[in-house]
Amino acid sequence: MTFVLTMAAAATAAGIEMLEALAIVLAVGIARGFRDALAGALAAVVAVVLLCLAVGPALLGGADLHFLRLIIGSILLLFGLEWLRKGILRMAGLRRRSSSYDEFVEERAALGGAIAAGAGRDWAARLVAFKGVFLEGLEVGLIVLALGGAPGRLAPALVGAAVALVIVSAIGLVLHQPLRRLPETQLKLGVGVALAAFGTFFTAEGLGVEWPLADLALLYLAGLFAITSWLAIRALARRVTLAAAT
Amino acid sequence: MRALLASLRRLILGETWTIPLGVGAALGLAVVMRAWLPHATWQAVGGFCLAIFVLAVLALSLRRAHRGHS
Repeated sequence: MTFVLTMAAAATAAGIEMLEALAIVLAVGIARGFRDALAGALAAVVAVVLLCLAVGPALLGGADLHFLRLIIGSILLLFGLEWLRKGILRMAGLRRRSSSYDEFVEERAALGGAIAAGAGRDWAARLVAFKGVFLEGLEVGLIVLALGGAPGRLAPALVGAAVALVIVSAIGLVLHQPLRRLPETQLKLGVGVALAAFGTFFTAEGLGVEWPLADLALLYLAGLFAITSWLAIRALARRVTLAAAT
Repeated sequence: MRALLASLRRLILGETWTIPLGVGAALGLAVVMRAWLPHATWQAVGGFCLAIFVLAVLALSLRRAHRGHS
């Protein structure tokens, strides 16, 4: 059960971040050429992997287990609550819905307006691709390290990230049309629920709590965050409707 | 460079200070409760207390965001 939950959370969270990175690479590739977009993206992937290899073992191997859980839980809480906040605001109509396709269109328009690339290396395009993929990749790395930080959870977190990589690469190969059909806002809200549940679970364990039903606590914590999010969306959407009517 | 640092800050801490400060306050409150409550009681109910604090942080961040829009 823990293996599946950790893998699903890692796959969904990593997949969404990878989709956002893909949108940037596609935009740079179409506007300025795929050779430079892929060069920038590849350099960013190498930088993120090296950073994770340098920091990860030191983070996961050198600390006391309770302290490690507290740190990991806190990082997951920061990510989870931010994703939940944005997801609730989007679902309630207080913020624009999330769409990698829209980001792709905006990025392409912005790059199209820039100075046209010459025959040589397009460093501006490479930099845009590098920055986008580096930031999204760093988030993938942090989430995978955090989810995989507890004993026995590194394998499912890595498998989840690998599954996400395969799926997102397949979407990239079939070009950008599938980006339009993904319910990204709902997916991000779901990831927020999962990360907040994992974050609360690990943080409490780091503080010496023993959860009733052990790892199954993840399920009732996820249920608690999901119900609270649903209630918050309803309440905020009602206020938006009332404000629009007056 | 400054834009990259700002993006990194947003990436790790989020768009507002409410959530990082709120999570810090929730952790601080949980540590105080752990010291104050008997060990067995904390082991049994501490997780639920933390969950309530976390939900309070989420509610506060939504309230501030909603105020910003209205």
